Amino acid sequence: MEYVDLFIKAAFVENMVLAYFLGMCSYLAVSKTVKTAFGLGLAVIFVLGITMPINWVISEYLLSESRGFGALIGADLTFLRFILFIGVIASMVQLVEMIIEKNSPALYNSLGIFLPLITVNCAILGGSLFMVAREYDFGQSVVFGLGSGVGWFLAIIAIAAIREKIKYSNVPPALRGLGMAFILTGLMGIAFMSLMGIDAGQLMGIK
Amino acid sequence: MSDTGKTVVFVVMLTGVCALLLSGMYSVLKPIHDFNKKVYTKKQVISSLRTELENVGDLNDQQVEELFKSKVKELVIDANGDVVEGLSAEAVEMDKEAKKPLENRRYPLYVYEDGGSKRYIMGVRGKGLWDAIWGYIAVKEDGKSVVGVAFDHAAETPGLGAEIKDNKAWYGQFAGKNLYDEAGNFTSVLVRKGGAKNDRIEVDGISGATITANGVSEMMQRGLAVYTPYFKKANVIK
Amino acid sequence: MAETAVKNQEAWLGKKERKLLTDPLNDNNPITVQVLGICSALAVTTMVVPSVVISIAVVFVCAFANLIISLLRNSIPKQVRMIVQLVVIATLVTVVELTLKAMSFDLYKQLTVYIGLIITNCIIMGRLEAFAMANKPWRSFLDGVGNGLGYGAILIIVAVIKEFFGKGTIAGFPIIGNTTDYMINTTAAGWQGTMFGWYANNNLMVLPASAMFVIGVLIWIQRSYNTKLVDVS
Repeated sequence: MEYVDLFIKAAFVENMVLAYFLGMCSYLAVSKTVKTAFGLGLAVIFVLGITMPINWVISEYLLSESRGFGALIGADLTFLRFILFIGVIASMVQLVEMIIEKNSPALYNSLGIFLPLITVNCAILGGSLFMVAREYDFGQSVVFGLGSGVGWFLAIIAIAAIREKIKYSNVPPALRGLGMAFILTGLMGIAFMSLMGIDAGQLMGIK
Repeated sequence: MSDTGKTVVFVVMLTGVCALLLSGMYSVLKPIHDFNKKVYTKKQVISSLRTELENVGDLNDQQVEELFKSKVKELVIDANGDVVEGLSAEAVEMDKEAKKPLENRRYPLYVYEDGGSKRYIMGVRGKGLWDAIWGYIAVKEDGKSVVGVAFDHAAETPGLGAEIKDNKAWYGQFAGKNLYDEAGNFTSVLVRKGGAKNDRIEVDGISGATITANGVSEMMQRGLAVYTPYFKKANVIK
Repeated sequence: MAETAVKNQEAWLGKKERKLLTDPLNDNNPITVQVLGICSALAVTTMVVPSVVISIAVVFVCAFANLIISLLRNSIPKQVRMIVQLVVIATLVTVVELTLKAMSFDLYKQLTVYIGLIITNCIIMGRLEAFAMANKPWRSFLDGVGNGLGYGAILIIVAVIKEFFGKGTIAGFPIIGNTTDYMINTTAAGWQGTMFGWYANNNLMVLPASAMFVIGVLIWIQRSYNTKLVDVS
């Protein structure tokens, strides 16, 4: 139950793109058509879902003073977390790329070019940093990773669809493209704010 | 040497240099970090008295340290209301305590003494809309009348939920409220949406931040009740 | 000897070098033109002070990452280029974090997640790839400073607009509001009251979403003047 709640919160209420504006670069760059947005969105869900638990294990058993390796040498190594997190993300992306290339060339061809982009997607690193700041446990970190991924996926699909439609509208020339994308994202962010305070338990009739 | 060998050596060396550099810097700066962290908490604790002591919000780090040394006694209370010997309140980390089972939790209590007057400052921690909120509540010698409060939050919305920390008019309302009703039952202070109805134990809500305000009510209700056994044992509340 | 010295001096801050510094401020602005680095810092633009801190951090990281990568550019093995760049950036960001934690714990508390996100700030990676890997150290350094400043400029402009309309203050200094604490008192009798009596703080401007509107409008303004930037597609 708590997990469903967390998932809904991560995907909708605290949407990475629309509430925190993380992962904006690829969000704006790759959202010109729905098809490419779909591929990138899937890859982000995948990478977020994998890196989050790995980074959780690293921060709990390697860096923290209270458990595992950190306790063994009696030092607080949390100041190394940026390097390790980004290292994990970079190598995971590389690994995912290699696995997909080997097992499913078709998927690789449609997804391949977006994969390296994900390393520098702030939403991935941001997710891991939020996870540390909010002190999630292992299960929560998996759910939070997947939830944020789904949220990012939905956001990029939505903006891509709007941008495809808006091509046919009469927007002032100076505002076309990028300017409009910013304003649209702002409006979507405000729309998503209405999901604030949503209660998963009540939605499903449990509470 | 092969290409792969070179690559490995290069990466290992670079990482080694970076890690060394950071470790060095970290150990040099660690005393400053620890000091800052301590003073940060202390400033919050003492700012719960800002309605009484006007300049208390503007003290610098050194002055805060001195004030604590000369006028503040730091106690740690366990779940039965007994004082835990040999511990200082600043060593209690509220976020870690909240994860322990109820009977093992410890609570910080700061006692501010100046001349004849005594102020008890209690710590509370709860949940706002987005993330944790926490605060310090100061009461008079009787353990009941609120002198002032200082709230803080991890990530409430600026201008809405964050008003609990920033809006002087809002947190100022708490001064003069009572944690007990006329019959002597513990009620805590309730933040009421739409305006306080009972002046003794209620304050106005914040428009647009109902969930944060409810979080404050809940946190005070639950967080202050645990100090009652101590106050009874110490004969502060009869 | 003397002649070469003069030439060298010119080269320190010659025309090309100055262009490296000024270009990113307008024609090649990282946010409004290159569309890089929007991710990390929009959420902190509600207040001016944190935005200034983030901007300084970005200038620092961007400049020194460019410098270091440019120094190493000939010895970095091709296959691990990205990882090497990330390690350098992450180290510099950690340096910033540790320094800030020692200097102002209050700001550190507010910014802790966002400082970390400088690592994935695309401007820095982007400049490393596009410039530092192919240019000499000094010019790379300048390019880093320029891009950091261009980024910071937008951040601070957005923060000033948002804080002024949202809270009536600029960098915490009260400008327009309804009590006597403010420079312009919107409720007092006399000219101030009659002139600004209509103004109440706009809570919309405090929300992170309004940063998008402000930047959208900034892009609009910039492109109306600088028509060569207009999107043709």
